[in-house]
Amino acid sequence: MNSVSPASVQYLSHDELPHSDGQQCFRSRAGSHGESCMRSISAGGSAHGQHGEPDKVDKIKCKFLSVWNKVKYGWTVKSKTNFSKLSPVYLFGYIYHFEQEEDVERFQKDFASRIWLTYRREFQQLEGTMWTTDCGWGCMLRSGQMLLAQGLLIHFLGRGWTWPDALLTSDLAENEPEKSASFSCSSTAHLHQTPPLPANKRRAPVESWTPQHTYSPDELEKEHCHRKIISWFADRPEAPFGIHHLVDLGRGSGKKAGDWYGPSITAHIVRKAVDCCSEAGSLVVYVSQDCTVYKGDVANLANRSEDKAAWDPRADWSAVIILIPMRLGGENLNPAYVDCVKELLKLDFCIGIIGGKPRHSLYFVGYQDDFLLYLDPHYCQPFVDTTQENFPLESFHCNFPRKTAFSKVDPSCAIGFYARHRREFEQLCLKLTQVLNSAAVKEKYPMFSVVEGCSQTYGLDEPSTHFSQQTLQTQRLIKRDRVKKPTAEEFVVL
Amino acid sequence: MQQGKMHPIHTCNSIRPFKQRKSLASRMEEVIGIRGKFPTKIPVIVERYQGERFLPLLDKTKFLVPQELTMTQFISIIRSRMGLSSTQAFYLLVNNKSLASMSLTLAEIYQDYKDEDGFIYMTYASQEMFGYFLATGKGKCKECLLKT
Repeated sequence: MNSVSPASVQYLSHDELPHSDGQQCFRSRAGSHGESCMRSISAGGSAHGQHGEPDKVDKIKCKFLSVWNKVKYGWTVKSKTNFSKLSPVYLFGYIYHFEQEEDVERFQKDFASRIWLTYRREFQQLEGTMWTTDCGWGCMLRSGQMLLAQGLLIHFLGRGWTWPDALLTSDLAENEPEKSASFSCSSTAHLHQTPPLPANKRRAPVESWTPQHTYSPDELEKEHCHRKIISWFADRPEAPFGIHHLVDLGRGSGKKAGDWYGPSITAHIVRKAVDCCSEAGSLVVYVSQDCTVYKGDVANLANRSEDKAAWDPRADWSAVIILIPMRLGGENLNPAYVDCVKELLKLDFCIGIIGGKPRHSLYFVGYQDDFLLYLDPHYCQPFVDTTQENFPLESFHCNFPRKTAFSKVDPSCAIGFYARHRREFEQLCLKLTQVLNSAAVKEKYPMFSVVEGCSQTYGLDEPSTHFSQQTLQTQRLIKRDRVKKPTAEEFVVL
Repeated sequence: MQQGKMHPIHTCNSIRPFKQRKSLASRMEEVIGIRGKFPTKIPVIVERYQGERFLPLLDKTKFLVPQELTMTQFISIIRSRMGLSSTQAFYLLVNNKSLASMSLTLAEIYQDYKDEDGFIYMTYASQEMFGYFLATGKGKCKECLLKT
């Protein structure tokens, strides 16, 4: 599936291209932009090479940083992604058939409209530490941010929204080698080959983002909202979902700046962040415990009307993001879960999965065949000041989809769903139950379960008091009853 | 959440798995003996996942569990024995699957996953953490080596 085949749509980066193709590609670009071949390569990071040209020192710096990023964050893993034309691609519940050219284009636009959050450097020191970057440790937090950002995009703009300026080249959909190669230059070179340049070199100094086309009033309003959402994730202490605040909230879970984070801890950090954010509108986050979603708990959390029961049809509900931290196997992802994961990614409600490959967090956004599509936070970009009007948006979007085999995925993850109101939540529960049970035909033990009632009903909220006493008493009884002293080899009778 | 629990625990201290400590014959004998005494209880072995770095070792590995106990109840018991908060990630794996059907009873799970020796083996694990070790300190490099 991963082999280069004429029948597949190819997303190539030029470092993996045969030399001749590479030459062709640069020539074609050089022709279209009136730039020299070399310039085109090294200026890839500066907004498609149309803006500020780096000088020689920068070029060397670029090369060095590029290698550095690769060594440090694994960018060498695979920089060429092939997609089959024969099987559908799913992206957050939307289906794309790549044998249709317009679908490839629509997919590109959809993918590039997702908010991409990566390692950043040169931001204000994290409180009480020397850290001015999260490079090397913040990847899971970044994945968590991306998942929340996707939830917010749906919440405020709807799943169908795309960024009018999504970096889209018309020849992406073409399959002739030369054309697809030229795609590789325009879309991937700046992501993979060329390292980020200092902020002021990326574009002409003090230049702000200029829309690529004229907006309608409706589009303008949505664009405003899009920017606002991104600014909530800014790397500054005031931003409600910025790295500064998230690290702060992680302290309660015993984490500090520089530590590694897991999906479950990140899910709880995201929950707390949304809890304390007044701007995020009527949105709440529910994090499941023990792979069980208690519908009653979600309802009570989402219900905003004080005088009505949560299940009252007239009750006013907040939108809710449901996060389910899971462990889908010991060392590796248990293949028994793959079908179920695929089915879940097909749901409109799904806002992706935060997980990754071992030690390497990724945000999974869809799949094709046996490969998960993802957004990768492992790319160290310079800080962008989002308080400036018309701050550049390009570093917050990625137009290069990548994929990884299910078999390489780490079993620790958390899946997210979004439901706008009570009805949608009920539909979601219905769908989830269907999917989990249909997968359960083959697999009796589902990935997670959705149950009626509240966790309290099951005595989960105070597990330590009730049960521990019971077990301790039992233990004492055993101790008294038996003549010989209990050892580690003794049974604990419950 | 308990801060102490979050610090990585060195895995090398962990003892050999129960199955490796005892022969099949002696394990079978043990099950027959205990099942004779407690016919309605299920012999469960609960061990820490070998790669686990955050959850503490349980003081006991062998449990006799009422067959009608649900997974919800069983997991709360194990959680409380370890003093885990409700937000701390904790998963019980059987046969490389995490037991997420909390309403299932131990008897049902026993039926599906009983080992040939008559015990049912469960492994507990939290979640992996994600990040890249940079040359920031010896301690971290050591952790990295331990992990790989």
